[in-house]
Amino acid sequence: MLAVLQKYRSIFVIGLQSNLVYRWNFAVRAGFSLVHLTFVFALWGAAFAGETGIGGFDLRQTLTYFVVILVLQFFISAMNEDYEVSEEIRNGLINQFLLKPINYYLYRFSLFLSARFVSGMLALVPVVLILPFLADKLVLPPFGWNYLLAIPALLMSALIQFTIAYCFGLLTFWFLEIQSFIILSLAVETVLGGHVFPLDLLPRWLYDFSTYLPYYYQMYFPAALLTGRITDQAAALRGLGIQLFWVGALLLAAQALWNRGLRRHTAVGG
Amino acid sequence: MNSLAHYARLWLAGARYSIVRTMMFRADFIMWSLVELFWMGVNLLLIAVVYRHTDSIAGWGPWEMTIIVGTSMLVQRLLMGFFWTNLFEMGRNVRTGHFDFFMAQPGSPLFMVSTRKIDLDGFLNAPLALAVVVYAAHQLGLHPTLGQMALYAVFVLCGLAVHYATLLILVSLVFWMQSAKGLEGGYFGVNEFSRLPREALRGVKAVIFVYALPVIVVTNVPANTLLHGGRLEPSLWLIGVAIFWLTVAVIVFNRGLRRYSSASS
Repeated sequence: MLAVLQKYRSIFVIGLQSNLVYRWNFAVRAGFSLVHLTFVFALWGAAFAGETGIGGFDLRQTLTYFVVILVLQFFISAMNEDYEVSEEIRNGLINQFLLKPINYYLYRFSLFLSARFVSGMLALVPVVLILPFLADKLVLPPFGWNYLLAIPALLMSALIQFTIAYCFGLLTFWFLEIQSFIILSLAVETVLGGHVFPLDLLPRWLYDFSTYLPYYYQMYFPAALLTGRITDQAAALRGLGIQLFWVGALLLAAQALWNRGLRRHTAVGG
Repeated sequence: MNSLAHYARLWLAGARYSIVRTMMFRADFIMWSLVELFWMGVNLLLIAVVYRHTDSIAGWGPWEMTIIVGTSMLVQRLLMGFFWTNLFEMGRNVRTGHFDFFMAQPGSPLFMVSTRKIDLDGFLNAPLALAVVVYAAHQLGLHPTLGQMALYAVFVLCGLAVHYATLLILVSLVFWMQSAKGLEGGYFGVNEFSRLPREALRGVKAVIFVYALPVIVVTNVPANTLLHGGRLEPSLWLIGVAIFWLTVAVIVFNRGLRRYSSASS
């Protein structure tokens, strides 16, 4: 067991080193996110003018939600993982993993963890720098059960994010070009993950429906726990249960796609 | 005149090639059309959700705001249809040396680089974006005159020129940098502001996104033309901005071109 852990720890360390090479790319991306945040502040600031609250939350709570979403993106979102899996299949680079005692999913997941560690830490730099200017515009709920439940929610969100990206990458076994699938999925995730607006602003029936979809647990669920948008403990525990279900279902789907895909795969060359 | 006909023939040849190529990959074309359609839906959904909880954003009602967003989508779709793929590929071509191909073409390098391909999916969704604007105008009970509609069309073209120029400047940086990859993320980030009314921005934000980077003017001037009729000052402002940014873009591109020394063996 320790030897297995050691193997993936080494992959994690290699991933850290290679991701640090691209530190400027992550830093630029984090910088551009601040432009998006400026847009969010302008839009919601204008929407709140003359309103005491929208959906039961004031402007500070709403802005905090978007800042938390922005930071979480760099810590738990899948960024290029789908393309990387796709490229490795298309170029035949996965052949080497078929001959070695390495689980391809765990290999990619170790690299995902290292990439998010680097991108998350780099994203914190601009956020910390602008924090003094934002402090009076943000508010977090007092310490309570929501923060404790947010920890497993965040871990499972990362798993869901990565596994969905991994599954899309595996589609390369069947399709030459998967970019349109990825962008379409990104659009769905952007809405149903709560990136565009907090999902609780949707009509009640649509919000309830979204709680059964995996997208809800990709980003909105942990962000809502951290920012106090989910105040009912029973609802939070139920959410963790559904999230656990999606983690299991997606892992099974990933394994099924891998097994089926390998049957179609042809390794050529020495 | 002959020169104009020559360039028209070149553009038509490129367009014909793009259409044939798109028809060879029909499933891909349908998927990308759906992707663009869905992203347009996301923009409209945001408005719908926000206006479920408030009556006004910076003094603009839901259908007025829809005209701004529809105009922004229209300009975007035209940019995607005419120029996006060409400029996106330019960065890669300069880096790999494939840019040589464009230098050997029978036309100005800038024209050849910008117009070689067209994207049908962008064009397919442009009428839908226009339909959004028309529907919102209908909801507001607007009856724009022919003159207003002609001005709107001119301003949309000015907006297209501003977006093209901005993108060309960003991509031309590849002549100086190793890679312009990621800069398109900045373009999309800044472009988000084109969906806001001018009145939503104050202070430094207004200086940056209204005056320094004219993203808001590009949509607000045409939208205001439909809503309130053409006004001289903002109209001249938008036309001036389009000429200014196009001039800067051409200068930057030509300066970059002088640095290009090919990368092939």
